[in-house]
Amino acid sequence: MNKRIPELETSSSRKRPRDKCSEPESEPESEDAVDNPNSLSLEEDLRFNDTLLALRMMRAQFPQLEKVSVQPFVLRSQLYSSVKDRTQVDRDLESLRRDRVLRIFKLNTGQDDHAIMFLDDYMNQIDRVVKRMEEKKQSDLMVFEWFKANIIQSKLDTSIGHQELCSLLSLEGGKVKEDHISQLINAGLLIRQLIDQHMYWFSIPNIGSVLKGLAQGRKELLSFLNRRKYKEIALATLEKKRLRLSPLDMRFHLRDLIGSGHLKTLRTPTGLIVRVAKD
Amino acid sequence: MWKEIREREFGKLRPNLFTSSVSKHRLSSIQLSNSKEIISSHRASINSLQVDLTEGRYLLAGASDATVAVYDVQRASDYEGGGLIAKHKSVLLINKQHEHGHKYPVSSAIWYPIDTGLFITGSYDHHINVWDTNTTQVVMNFKMPGKVYRTAMSSLARSHMLIAAGTEDVQVRLCDIASGAFSHTLSGHRDGVMSLEWSTSSEWVLITGGCDGAIRFWDIRRAGCFRVLDQSHSQFGRRPPLLVRPSTNKKSSSAGQSSCAKVRAPHKKLNGNALKSQVKTAKQRLHPGMISSLDRATGHYGVITGLKVTDDGMYLLSAGSDSRLRLWDIESGCNTLVNFETTRLQSSKSIQMALSQDSALAFVPCMTTAKAFDMWSGQTRWTFRGHYENINCCWYNALDQELYTAGNDRQILVWSPSKLNFDEVDEWRNGQAAVTDQDNWSD
Repeated sequence: MNKRIPELETSSSRKRPRDKCSEPESEPESEDAVDNPNSLSLEEDLRFNDTLLALRMMRAQFPQLEKVSVQPFVLRSQLYSSVKDRTQVDRDLESLRRDRVLRIFKLNTGQDDHAIMFLDDYMNQIDRVVKRMEEKKQSDLMVFEWFKANIIQSKLDTSIGHQELCSLLSLEGGKVKEDHISQLINAGLLIRQLIDQHMYWFSIPNIGSVLKGLAQGRKELLSFLNRRKYKEIALATLEKKRLRLSPLDMRFHLRDLIGSGHLKTLRTPTGLIVRVAKD
Repeated sequence: MWKEIREREFGKLRPNLFTSSVSKHRLSSIQLSNSKEIISSHRASINSLQVDLTEGRYLLAGASDATVAVYDVQRASDYEGGGLIAKHKSVLLINKQHEHGHKYPVSSAIWYPIDTGLFITGSYDHHINVWDTNTTQVVMNFKMPGKVYRTAMSSLARSHMLIAAGTEDVQVRLCDIASGAFSHTLSGHRDGVMSLEWSTSSEWVLITGGCDGAIRFWDIRRAGCFRVLDQSHSQFGRRPPLLVRPSTNKKSSSAGQSSCAKVRAPHKKLNGNALKSQVKTAKQRLHPGMISSLDRATGHYGVITGLKVTDDGMYLLSAGSDSRLRLWDIESGCNTLVNFETTRLQSSKSIQMALSQDSALAFVPCMTTAKAFDMWSGQTRWTFRGHYENINCCWYNALDQELYTAGNDRQILVWSPSKLNFDEVDEWRNGQAAVTDQDNWSD
């Protein structure tokens, strides 16, 4: 396997979304000091795991969206499509989450959808939102500072209760009012839970249209394959097709659907074919 | 095979090891049985299966047309195909015509754990009936406030005879056969209870899974539940590490536990929100055992449709309508993060899962197939395809290494280890009934 620092790697072959990182064991890689003289610590270069590698690669391959500015995120099902051992993926994600390298958000498209975003990207996203609110001349943006300082660092879960939210925000010294919470909800950082009014989900701001595109793109791709006579298509043909209803590219959707088990790929003498999986 | 028997004779191989290697070998060749068939007497989907725990001989099935039937899985009622196919008809059948029978779907049918003289059925007609097997009469009847989803009795119980009943009501009721009355109710769930199991390590511990997604552990001698499983509490690996570092994960995310509620009391002055007064009065009114009802942790994002405890009492497998299976370490209450590759699990009815003898394999009904998962890595070992519609329940018979599955297509299918080739050829050549205890040289 080609050992390169993942940030520099640009994958040229889109044809095999499944075959990357399919070794089940995590391997310590030999460091190559010449490649990246700016690395902070050798430890980071010496030990990778498959999940982190896949995450970085998919983050680099996140499609460019014209209308919305969203930092790259990766869906959990996409990771499952690339890395073979799902239990290891779950465990690696959990340890990365505890080390505050990334954050996991529960999405409202489907029962068990999660989005994974690196912490730096998430902070950038929050800063963008704050900057836009400043441009609209909204005052009293202290709550966002409190949010970044207290909650993101200490509360690592996907949801938070009302009590805890207020107590953590008020640690900075200010008094937390209902308006502050409304500001956070309006900015898109928190969403009220439907089943429980005192709990909030953490969320990525400005992601609404992307999620709509995700849901519609999934439906479109699945219905396209279901309409065909044998419910399958060659990957080479599928690559060239553009989805009408989704701003995300075909590779994103393919990985997501393969990882969640709706599609499966098979090797044939003419290449890979994608087929709708029946249970 | 003979070599292993020799080694066991000489003492080189331990008997337990020999037994487990033979059963594992047989289990690995499981397929749809071509020599054994159960003739189902049901006219609607079968909801519950159980083989009795004492002899491992009688299979009890409850179906949606209010029929309950018992099948003898060891002795066939007649043979077909020149004696090669054994047909098992029902030994006992109770249907709607029975004067005290159920009138609505039977959702759960279980044997009395001590012997096969009694069995207990729970139905959507809000009744739980205790039947005498030999006379087929209802001995005792309990009326519930809602549809009964599941009943369970503890197989370890030596000092109580309680039937735990999960209904569409939020309270779990314990019915006592000895006295004929309800002994007590367990409150804490916020929606109906679809699955419940007794612990296999203690006769006093009951585990329930509700439609609100919570999995609660109850000690029936105390008030309230002593543990609620939270899917965000996780550990890596089968057991937590020996050196316990204070993990930020656990402490910060428990919202409803009593210690945290007390710590937050001085902060209330800063908040000034309307919740303050409500929680304070709620704290003053609640019995300390009931504080657990404030805990809103969920085990799954959806309804808990199935629970299964391993035989050693250390792990719990739970299935939810979010199409996920989770393996929990009971001692630490953490999610072990084993990922079972399930695409979809049925979400409207509860499913019954089975475990192999040493808990290495989990048999789970996934829509129209039953899958055998490796318990510790989550990989799918085998997929059993044979049913035409969704499978609701499965049971693993460890004595014969057979799997019974039943579902909405009204059939009970038997999956058994394939017979050895020379046995089959021998029978075909002789053309005799395959009665196993006939010697080759008897006249």
